[in-house]
Amino acid sequence: MNAIEVTGLVKEFAGGSPGGRRRALDGVTLRVGEGEIVGLLGPNGSGKSTLLKLLLGLLHPTAGRCRLWGADPDDAATRATVGFLPEAPGFPPDLTGDEIVRLHARLSGLPRAGLAARVARALARAGLAAAAHQPAGGFSLGMRRRLGLAQALVHDPRLLILDEPVSGLDPEGAAALTALLAECRARGRTVLLSSHVLEPVMESCDRVVVLQRGRVVLDAPVDDLARRAGCSALLVDALPAALLDELRRWLAARGARLHGVEVPAAALAQIIREAVPAGAAAETAEP
Amino acid sequence: MSPPAIALRRTALIAASTLRETLRQRTPALLAALAAALAGGAWLLRDFNFGASDLRFLLDAGLGAEALFGALVAVVVTAHQFFAALDRGSAQLVLARPVRRAEYIAGHLGGVVLLLLGFCLLLTLWMAALLWWRETGLMRADPGAFAQGRRVPYAGLAWAGLAQWLRLSVLAAVTLFLASYARSGLFATLAGFGAFVACQSQHLACDHFGAAASPWARGGAWLLGALVPDLHRFDLADQVAAGESIAPGQIAGLAAGAAIYVAAFGILAACCFQRRDL
Repeated sequence: MNAIEVTGLVKEFAGGSPGGRRRALDGVTLRVGEGEIVGLLGPNGSGKSTLLKLLLGLLHPTAGRCRLWGADPDDAATRATVGFLPEAPGFPPDLTGDEIVRLHARLSGLPRAGLAARVARALARAGLAAAAHQPAGGFSLGMRRRLGLAQALVHDPRLLILDEPVSGLDPEGAAALTALLAECRARGRTVLLSSHVLEPVMESCDRVVVLQRGRVVLDAPVDDLARRAGCSALLVDALPAALLDELRRWLAARGARLHGVEVPAAALAQIIREAVPAGAAAETAEP
Repeated sequence: MSPPAIALRRTALIAASTLRETLRQRTPALLAALAAALAGGAWLLRDFNFGASDLRFLLDAGLGAEALFGALVAVVVTAHQFFAALDRGSAQLVLARPVRRAEYIAGHLGGVVLLLLGFCLLLTLWMAALLWWRETGLMRADPGAFAQGRRVPYAGLAWAGLAQWLRLSVLAAVTLFLASYARSGLFATLAGFGAFVACQSQHLACDHFGAAASPWARGGAWLLGALVPDLHRFDLADQVAAGESIAPGQIAGLAAGAAIYVAAFGILAACCFQRRDL
């Protein structure tokens, strides 16, 4: 069974212009199998956090659907198997770290017996043992992220959803996160993590999904991405087919391979088609 | 454990957490201290009693302080807690757990209602202590005037405190309903105070239009009476001050009315919150 299944997901928010709608996700389709560690990459504003919130039932889709373990995220019981670390975790400032993690553990259905030890373990693992009984209001950003991680892990979830887990972490925290992801892999846990930086995704993930302007523009194994990262791109004048074949043979004779050919003119035509409203005509296009 | 029991447990956990949080905040503590100071200050101002007896003046001032600052606590704490949790993202973290939105609303309301119970209990005990102290002093000064025993109706004071708690719980539920669809804490707070004034003076409008000749006006008065809670009926101060006894049936009626209003506004809040994007 897929841990996550997203089909044709669209999310629009009010905004842009008065009475207008802004489309944050535009027909996203995505599958994450059980035991996979998938990185969701994309620049800020590409729709990563929106997608994660939709998966948790915090937002409601405009169209399309998402499923966690085959069930609707609105089904509260499904969420018992999920641990979530938001991008900027916020906690009641007057409660201590221990109280917060304890509350989340109890809400996830953990019994009272053995709870104290489990909470202490989660806090220690996140590096917050010494600050466990301090009010969260006095925590730094890094400590809040660690506390977020502790609450996400306390119930040993089958599926971990991490929104920008590296941001706000010091190198030590980042290393701990890498170790955590390795542990998740070893234990067959499923992880979906979003990031706008490449390194944590390349280090720890099996597969990468790239979002841009609310659309999936790439969904490929990390190995593929690594291979592409080692490529060179040349921008030359349009090549006729015969010359292209000759170039391919020339490269092959020297042990290199031509992975792909893109025709910017075709891409430009596509951009113009998308940018010009239906029914209107574009007369000129300038770079 | 059965599903309703699990839902109840989650609601209780959220209520306990909300209560713990509010007990550690400055605002409710400050408002309770101001209410206690106002009730205690009446002791110093008892010479300005507008002709009423010392004890009546203290009783009126104490119950007035409880009503005024209780309303402030009910509206401000309910709206502030709700929006603070949404703005900092802690509500989203709780709702990413296996927690239904209706359970979250019920837990939030439960926490505030428990806080209000503590507020009313403390204020009523403080008032009782002040009255007892003053009455003892008066008894020493003029034993003849108290030949029949103590005059302050302490049982009535306890009932008035209970009715006050019921009233504030209804007000908290109305405020939570307003907050559930409001976009800002300030709007919810102001609308909560507006609702307080409307609910407190509902009986005046109902009395006025209920006696009108026009059937439309009478119908409007009936509708107003059905939709807007009548908070004035929870005010037992005059009855207590006049020394009238309060029947348990009257309190049971008030408790039933409050329970219906709290449940109705709680359900409305849960319905509004259900489809809200967080």
